Order: sequence, then structure tokens, then C-alpha cells
Amino acid sequence: MTKYVLKRIGYLILVFFIVSFLMYLLYNLIPEDPARNELEPLKKSLKPEVYERMYQDLREQMGLNDSIIIRYGRWIGLAPEKESGRLNGLLEGNLGKSSYFKKTVVEVVKGPIGNTVFINIFATILALGITIPLGIYCAVHKNGKFDNAVQVLTIIGYSIPIYIIALVFIWVFAVILRWFPIGGMGTPGAEYTGMRAFWDKLYYISLPLIVMTFGSLGGMTRYVRSSMIDALSMDHIKTARAKGVKEKVVIYSHAWRNALLPVITLIIGWFLSIFSGSVIIENTFSLNGMGKLYISALNNHDYVLTLGIQMFYTVVSLVGALIIDLSYGLVDPRVRIDK
Amino acid sequence: MAKEKKQSIFGRLFGNRNKNVDIMVEEQIQSPGRMMLNNFLHNPLGMTGLIVFLCILLFVVVGPYILPIDLGDTDNTQQNVPPIQSMLSVPKALDGNIAAISPGPTFGAGCDKDGNVYMWGYTKITDTIDLKEIPEKVRQAHIVDIAAGYDHMVALDDANKLYIWGNKRLGQDRIPSQVTNSKAKIIQLEAGYQFSGVVLDNGEAYFWGNGNMCDVDVKPEYQGHIKKIAISTYNFCLLLDNGSVVYGGIQKDNAFTRIPAALSSGVVDIAATGETMAGVTEDGKIYVWGNGIHGEEKVPESESRPVELYGGRYHYTALMDNGDVFSWGDDSHQQATVPDSVNGAAIDTVYAGFYQNYAVDVNGKVHTWGLKGHAMGTDNMGRDIMTRIVNGGKVTMTVGAVSVIIALIIGVVMGGIAGYFGGKADMLIMRISEIVGGLPFLPFALLLSAIIGTRISVELRMYLIMVVLGVLSWTGICRLIRAQILAEREKEFVLAAQAMGVREGSIIFKHILPNVLSILLVEATLSFATCMLTESSLSYLGFGISPPTPTWGNMLTGANNSIVIQQYWWRWVFPAAIFGICTICINLIGDAIRDAVDPKSLGR
Repeated sequence: MTKYVLKRIGYLILVFFIVSFLMYLLYNLIPEDPARNELEPLKKSLKPEVYERMYQDLREQMGLNDSIIIRYGRWIGLAPEKESGRLNGLLEGNLGKSSYFKKTVVEVVKGPIGNTVFINIFATILALGITIPLGIYCAVHKNGKFDNAVQVLTIIGYSIPIYIIALVFIWVFAVILRWFPIGGMGTPGAEYTGMRAFWDKLYYISLPLIVMTFGSLGGMTRYVRSSMIDALSMDHIKTARAKGVKEKVVIYSHAWRNALLPVITLIIGWFLSIFSGSVIIENTFSLNGMGKLYISALNNHDYVLTLGIQMFYTVVSLVGALIIDLSYGLVDPRVRIDK
Repeated sequence: MAKEKKQSIFGRLFGNRNKNVDIMVEEQIQSPGRMMLNNFLHNPLGMTGLIVFLCILLFVVVGPYILPIDLGDTDNTQQNVPPIQSMLSVPKALDGNIAAISPGPTFGAGCDKDGNVYMWGYTKITDTIDLKEIPEKVRQAHIVDIAAGYDHMVALDDANKLYIWGNKRLGQDRIPSQVTNSKAKIIQLEAGYQFSGVVLDNGEAYFWGNGNMCDVDVKPEYQGHIKKIAISTYNFCLLLDNGSVVYGGIQKDNAFTRIPAALSSGVVDIAATGETMAGVTEDGKIYVWGNGIHGEEKVPESESRPVELYGGRYHYTALMDNGDVFSWGDDSHQQATVPDSVNGAAIDTVYAGFYQNYAVDVNGKVHTWGLKGHAMGTDNMGRDIMTRIVNGGKVTMTVGAVSVIIALIIGVVMGGIAGYFGGKADMLIMRISEIVGGLPFLPFALLLSAIIGTRISVELRMYLIMVVLGVLSWTGICRLIRAQILAEREKEFVLAAQAMGVREGSIIFKHILPNVLSILLVEATLSFATCMLTESSLSYLGFGISPPTPTWGNMLTGANNSIVIQQYWWRWVFPAAIFGICTICINLIGDAIRDAVDPKSLGR
């Protein structure tokens, strides 16, 4: 087991470096010259020759003339910095400086990352809490009236893009019924503290949460249902029933444990998609999260920040994949992943 | 065999299929393809999805030919108009009793011979201003003439008094004292974009309104000689009593000051569209000048002599000496297509404006042609939503289809190689697919579009989106094909083919691939919906296909505020509804194909 985990982690690190290098290459396609940006205000006051010399010096100083591998090494924190000679890159926690906010990326990201995690934790709990019981119920009462209704609803749920669901929900709950605010992260101007602030925040994110939950209901419920039906049609279920095991035990102990494995595979994809899916939700509801920050960074051509957030998404998806792989073994002892 | 009752189409689609089957029929051997087709045809949800999807497909394939889109087309007079069809619905009470009609951008106004005012069409200008709310004073007065501007109304009563309602913020109600104090009777009343003008019977004309936009001052030397005025969007020209046409404003040089020399004498009538002006001379020649870009200058040949001219927004209508009518210029809303019924009737007078025409015959009957309304309303730039939905659907579906094809090609080739050869190739391809599949999809697509997309033309950007979507979404297909081929390659027919010396590429793609085709079809259908969804999400966020090219995604950009959601509901409900129905149908079809291919999966 330990060997397998180590192998997986080693592989993850390799993929991380490949992806981050690709990403860095991509960003280097942008025709942007930090040295020229720095000198632009001085251009008028300097003679052309002096300007040119200063520009070349600055390029040398910033290390822009070095090869892409060395620059990548500096950025990721594996090669020493030009001036200080110290390692100071992504791995040391330095993601660079945002050109738009004039702050380091870590400082810029601090607030939004908390919001995104806050929202996604609630969305996860809600979605799993609803879809798993619903999927099991539908599988057990297969082809019943309720099941058929849920089937039709879930097709709608996973076919319609989340922003259309969001528009409809805003229309119904925020515009017509006026139960929830249309967007934002808190009552403007209110200086709440403690629990009051928490409840206020929760009130503001409740509509986005409902939308995210509704959007994930479709795929998840169908998946839980179908894997549960597969599990229920196995022979050992018949045996268990024949033995006279209680139906509850049959469903929750005999069948559900078998149905869990494919469900976990889904949760990984879904877990990743809520992080990237919240790009749309956060922009629609103007929530101050990573997704909104990402879009505004792209719009502001703040590429250092974009790169940082992109790395965040990459790490989330890689770690998510690892966790799911490892949890296979925990859930299902038959899966001998160390083989 | 027993007499089998023939089922109706409805019965086949939605009916109960658990009827008793003759043993001979039941035991009949079917080929797998036929069985799949039968299964599919008997799946009510799948068939419904297929039929609805085919209808939508027909709608977006044929639609663009019927409703061609002009990408540069915007019109600030048609902004945010709801789906109505009543812009030409003259009230019954006016029939046979018309004193005057004046068409506005999205509405019409008229008064009857008893002095009552009527409004029809969409008259809401802002939240608080509705032109239909005619002031009490106007209701009580005996109105004899009426003029509709862009967002204000002017009415004249029999006591020579002017009434103005609607938007007054830009000085639309600042009637000059020369008009209010004058004893002279008002003989002509006109209203333009944000200004109005009158002609008095002593030959003077006055204009008032938004002086910053419109040339509202009349050169003093013309006062006392003015017979008629014609108003374009921001300018006006004058017909003087010596039969010449002059530019009346004080602006020195613009497109309207270059009046053709032939119009310096013998002019009988003048008219103006939004961007051009026209005059007709005694011998029936029509001269048009200004910025004609909608074909206003292409006056058609005619045998009879035009005597009166009327201008719409981009078209002219002329009344001939024999009572015939003809129109020319912009015909995007059929406003320059005179119906045949008009040319039989003896037309007395015509009222034209914006996109509407009202011809009144000698019996007082009104004939109308032009813009009735927008079937699905218009957006904030005055573009017709229906046209954009039809053309946007074409773009969305094309992008979806092309990216699925790209994904299919990459996925099948990679999956085929990985599955058949195994070993190192398999290892390498699967690692690549894991990396690509592990990338957070939407952020990465956004990034690619933002970095590369800003430096290329709109058209190239569309191809870029297709490639990005295709290149990022092949991994699922690849894994599926690999797993299928791993299972198939152990079978005897592959061994037989190998023994016969068939080339390996040929074995993969000719012998094995057909066996996995049905599963591929399911995957392709479902990916098609996913690609359309992704494209629309990108466009919704502003990183996909950029306006003015419409897609179902970018039509919804900016719809997430309460004003649009509530007041301009037609701007998001129609695109959202058709897109939602389309993706639901595609998913239903995909599910139905899967059930048909793999009967074991039925009920899953």
C-alpha cells in the first residue's frame, strides 16, 4: 500500500511539473515584455541610446534573455534567482506579483480562495446529502412513478447549462419571490461580526448554493441510481434476501457498499467540476471567489495572477484524483491497488 | 398470423408496447442492427427527442436563409422591444375617420376627426414614461394633428395649441415663444429623433428639442418663405415658396447641405429618412441626397408621376398622380414592399415613418405594410432576437459538431493505437490522456481563448474555439475505445485476420472498430451536447465566440441582472429555452441509443 501511495505521489509530482511547464510555455506566448513595461514611463525623458541600453540592462537583470527552461526553473522555484541567488519561486510560496492589484498573488488570492472553498464545501455536503439517498430510493423503487418523475427531472438537470438554471432561479427566487438577494457576498455597508456575519454570508450564498446543488443533482442522481441497480441485480443480493436478511440491511449494507465504488469515481469528476464550474456561478452571482478573480484577471491581462490561479485549479484536480484513487482501497477491500 | 391492428404514429411513439406477440414473430431472428433500430424506434422518450431535435436542426439550418443576419446591423430605435405584433394595428375606431396618423419607432399614433387620440404598439419608453398615458389635457382637447418622435409625442388642437408628452428631459417640450405667441396657424407638425418642428401659415418654421444632437436653428433669411419641412434623424430641410429646396439649419457643411442642383426650382414635395433627404420636382423626377446606405438613392423607374413623398427610417414611399403607391430603400421588415391590395385602391394619402406605412384610400380605409413587430422581441442593440437565435443556433451547432468530430478523430486514433498495441504506446497515450483529462477544463479553455484568441480575427477565433474544445475533450472517447478494443482484440476473428496477414492498421480500423461503432455513436451524441454546453459557457463568460456573431451562449451574456431578467425577459427566455430543449433532446437521443445498443442497460 505504502509503495503504491508513493508511486502515485511520484507520478503526481511528475504530472504537476509537466502541466506547469506547459502552462508556463503557454504564458510565454503572450507578447508581453515586463522590461519594456517597466521602462515605458521613462521613455520620453531619455535619449534613445540611453533608453536602449537601460532596456537591455534591465532585460539582463530580469533574466529575460535566459532560456525558457531556466526561467521556468526560477518561476517554479528550482533555479536560483538572478540577484539574490536564493530559490524563490512557486514551490517556496512565491507566485509573483499581480500587475493589476500591485500586490503579491498570494495576498490577492487569500480572500477569494476562502470564499470558494466555503461555497464548495456547502455545495458538496448538500449535493451528496440529497443525491445519494435520492439515487438509492429511485433504484429500489425502480420504474415507479416517483422514479420516472426523477428520471425526467434529472435529464433536464444535466442537460441545461448551469447559467441558464441560475437565470431561472434568480428570476423565480430573487426577482419574483424576493426571498434571496440577486448577487454579492454580504449586505452592502453592514458591519456584522461573528455569527451575524456568518449568517449574512450564508444568506447571500444560499441562492448560488441551491443552483449548484440543482445543477449537480442530475448527473449524480442518475449515476447513483444506475450503479445501485447494478449492485441490486447481483446474485449475492438474491442470496441475502433468500436468507431472510432485512431489506434495509440488504440495501444499505450488501448493495450500497458495492455501488459505492463507481459513485466515488463520479465524485472526483464532480468535485473538480464544481471548482471550475464555480467560475460561471461566481460570475453570475458576482461572488468574490476564485472563479470571478480568474475571469477578471484574464480580462485585465494580469497574467501572473492568472497563472497562479490556474496552478491552483491544477493542484486541486491532481490532488482530487489522488484522493479518489486512494479511497478506492478504503471503500472496497477487493480493489488491491498495490498490485 | 392474427390480424394485427395497425398502430398509429402516436401509438408507435407513445403507446404501450407490451402487447401479445405471436410466437412466430417473437422467435424471429433479427440482425443486431435491425434490433437496435427497432429498440430505438420503440423508445418513446428517444423518439420524441429525435423529432424535436430534428425540428430545431431544420430551424437553424433553413432559418438563416429565411432570416439572414446582418452582423453590423444595430438600431437604437428598436432597443428592448418585447415580442408583440401590434405595431401596425390601427384601432377600429380610426377606420374611416382618420384625421392624422404618425408612426413612431415601435408604435403608431393617430387622431380621428372628432379630436380623439389613439396609440397602438409598444409605447413604453422607460420605466416611468409610457406614451400611452395620454395627458388629461390632451384627452379633453380637440386634436387635429399629431406627430410621433423617437420618445415623445406632439399634438395640435383646433385652437392652435401644442401639447407634448413623453420624454421631456432633452428639451422636447421647450416650444419657442415665437410659436406660442404667434397668431399664425400651424400648418405642419413634425417630430424627429429628439426634436420637433412646426410650420406656420405665415411661412415661418421653428424647431426645438435636443440642440446638442440636432440642428434646431433655422437660418433667418428663409423665415417667411417656408412651405414645408422634412425631418431626418438630426437635421431638416425646407421647401420654400419659390419651389426650391434648401438645407434649413445653420450647420455649414454636412451630407445634407449638398442638395442636387435640379432641386433649386419647381419642387413639389420633400421628404426625409433617417439618413437621407429627397425632393420630387414638377416633372416627376425624384432626387435623393445624404448618407444613403440602405438603397434609398436607387429610385425605381415608374411610368406615372410621383406627386407626394414620404420617408421612413431607411425607406421612401411615394404617392403617384394615379393613386398608386411605390416604396424603395431598406426592405428588411417588408416596409418597402407595397402590398398588391394598395395599388388597386385609390389612395388618398400615405403616412410613413420608421418601419411603418399607412395608406388611406378615398373611402378612409387604412392599408398597412411594414414592421408589425418582432416575433421574439429585440435586444439592447435593437437586433431581432429571432434572427439571432436562428443564426446563433447555426454557429453553436457547427462549433459543437466540428469539435466533436475533432475529439472523435483524436480519441479513436489514440484509443485504437493504445488498445491494440498495448505496452509502451498504451502507457504513453494513457499518461497523455490523463494529463489532458486532468486539466481543469473550463479554466484551461478560458485561458487558451484569452491568450491566443485576442490576437486573431473573429473568424479564426471561432475555429480556435472548435479546436480547443476538440483537443481538450478527446480523453473520454480515447479511454472508451481503448477498453472496447482491449476486449475485442482477444477474439478469434482478429486472430484470423492476423493469420491472413492483414496489416495491423487495417485490423484496428477495419475489423475491430466497426464492433465498437455503436458505443462510439452514443459517446459522440453525448459529447455533442457537452461541447455545445461548453462553447456556450465560454461565450457566456465572454471568452468564446465574440459578438456580433451570435451564439446561444453569448446571447445570454449580460442577462444576469435583475433588470434584464425581469423587464426584458424575452432577451434570455427564448435563447435559454431553445438551447435547453436542444441539449435535453440530444441527451435523450444519446440515452435512447445506449439503451438500444445495449438492451441490458435498459432501466438503468
